[in-house]
Amino acid sequence: MADVEVPKQQKCIAILWPSFMVAIVASGLFFSAFDPHDLYPFGQQTEISRLGIYSIGFLLFWLVSAIAGIGTLYFAITNCMKNRPESRDQ
Amino acid sequence: MANPDATGPTSGSKSDEQVSQSLYAKAEKIYPREVHGLFARLRVLGVLSLLGIYYITPWLQWDGHQALLLDLPARKFHIFFITLWPQDFFYLAVLLIIAGLALFFVTALAGRVWCGYACPQTVWTEAFLWIERKVEGDRMKQQKLDALPLNARKFRIKATKHFFWLAFSAWTGFTFVGYFSPIIELGHNLLAFNLGSWELFWIVFYGFATYGNAGFMREQVCKYMCPYARFQSAMFDKDTLVVSYIPVRGEPRGSRKRSVDPAEKGLGDCIDCTMCVQVCPTGIDIRDGLQYECIACSACIDACDDVMDKMGYDQGLIKYTTEHAMQGGTTHILRPRIIIYAVILLAIFAAFAWSFSQRIPLGLDVIRDRNTLYRETGDGLIENVYILKIMNMDQADHQYELQVSGIPGLSLHKDMAVIRVESGAIMELPVRLRADEADLEMRSSDVVFELLATDDDALAVSEDARFLGPR
Repeated sequence: MADVEVPKQQKCIAILWPSFMVAIVASGLFFSAFDPHDLYPFGQQTEISRLGIYSIGFLLFWLVSAIAGIGTLYFAITNCMKNRPESRDQ
Repeated sequence: MANPDATGPTSGSKSDEQVSQSLYAKAEKIYPREVHGLFARLRVLGVLSLLGIYYITPWLQWDGHQALLLDLPARKFHIFFITLWPQDFFYLAVLLIIAGLALFFVTALAGRVWCGYACPQTVWTEAFLWIERKVEGDRMKQQKLDALPLNARKFRIKATKHFFWLAFSAWTGFTFVGYFSPIIELGHNLLAFNLGSWELFWIVFYGFATYGNAGFMREQVCKYMCPYARFQSAMFDKDTLVVSYIPVRGEPRGSRKRSVDPAEKGLGDCIDCTMCVQVCPTGIDIRDGLQYECIACSACIDACDDVMDKMGYDQGLIKYTTEHAMQGGTTHILRPRIIIYAVILLAIFAAFAWSFSQRIPLGLDVIRDRNTLYRETGDGLIENVYILKIMNMDQADHQYELQVSGIPGLSLHKDMAVIRVESGAIMELPVRLRADEADLEMRSSDVVFELLATDDDALAVSEDARFLGPR
């Protein structure tokens, strides 16, 4: 595995695609339970339409799960891969 | 994996343009050859009916509203004569479980028929391939065009194709948003250039997803991104229907003239024409055996049957079969796996249907006034204040009667003489309960609110609450 350089596109898809599916499920569950109009983000009542809040919520869920995906990818690199001389040169 | 020798005429004319860096690996662009035959007709039928359902459904009207409207802004799902509220989320979750189990069942029985005929990825890719063929011509013409350096003619043809692709994608995106936001209004707003920014965002987002998935990524979605493709083999067994080449009949493969008797030359029935490879939308060679990339679209069956007819051989060198049948045994349709899947599926479906038939389209929430625990009225009674949220989830307006019980001599006071709630509306009704302190046994007593429609005995709900007093 360590010998194969994972293409950038594969990394991007591996981060963006599962987090996209997770974001759909997460926003579905979240907004079924909570009406955006009952939410007071940062203590403020918001003027944004429900559709807008759903969309922002979805994009935030996507962002957060994508960050988790970046973490997974980052920590998948083991110590021995880090210690390889060729990667130390870089 | 695909046999590199078997990629047919494409391997001779590989140019740098055809080999583009794709998502996961260097992949050769696949030009699936157009195919005619029984299964191609079935797929066209599937594609046309599914696309028809997708594009027409949001325009259907039912009883004065859009028949299928997952009205996210209003937090109500209208599905013909049913209106679902966020409280009904449970039903949606169970429906998804049923859909998942049905997919398992069908997979165990008939393999990847979902992939080959009904998956949106297949359906829209077929539509995009059709547009591509109409604009660029058949497989050979497409390959020749791609091999050319960019010139005016190539630019014109490519631009035309992308124009139609984009227009189709935009319409797809518009239709998609039309499931969530009333489509007629959406259409008016679109024509008046007055779309809401989020609606526009999702039309563009979904449109580009369609354009990218069906125009460019195509089989790579199935190979690298589809979760179902990764685990479908877990549902397979030796009695599952698969598309397979029959090696005992076909091998040794080799070209020959139509007049030659294959037995004389020591050949099997496969004439190695590579038609099965050329028609394959995922670019594999079915003759290498069952592969993870095969979406069971059976284009190779149609192509091979056609060749067999021309050669005067029997059809079915590539066919739908099972591993057991290929080994000379019999296929068992009724087997433990199928029976277990079917029983679970039926049980959940029955539970769902029963539970749904018991659903009462009336909701009642009782919220105690948070500011005061209780107060004493002028005539010495203890009073608690509540706000009732009455949700009429039915498709008709109703009048309701409210009763309360739990404490002897408990009285109910409200400002409104009749409780009338329109269909789909939520009414917030402040009510006061009064009781004599002598009747209270504890600091906190349980009371029950009962709400009943005056015109329909089935519409009755009750909700518990607490009544607080000084004791």
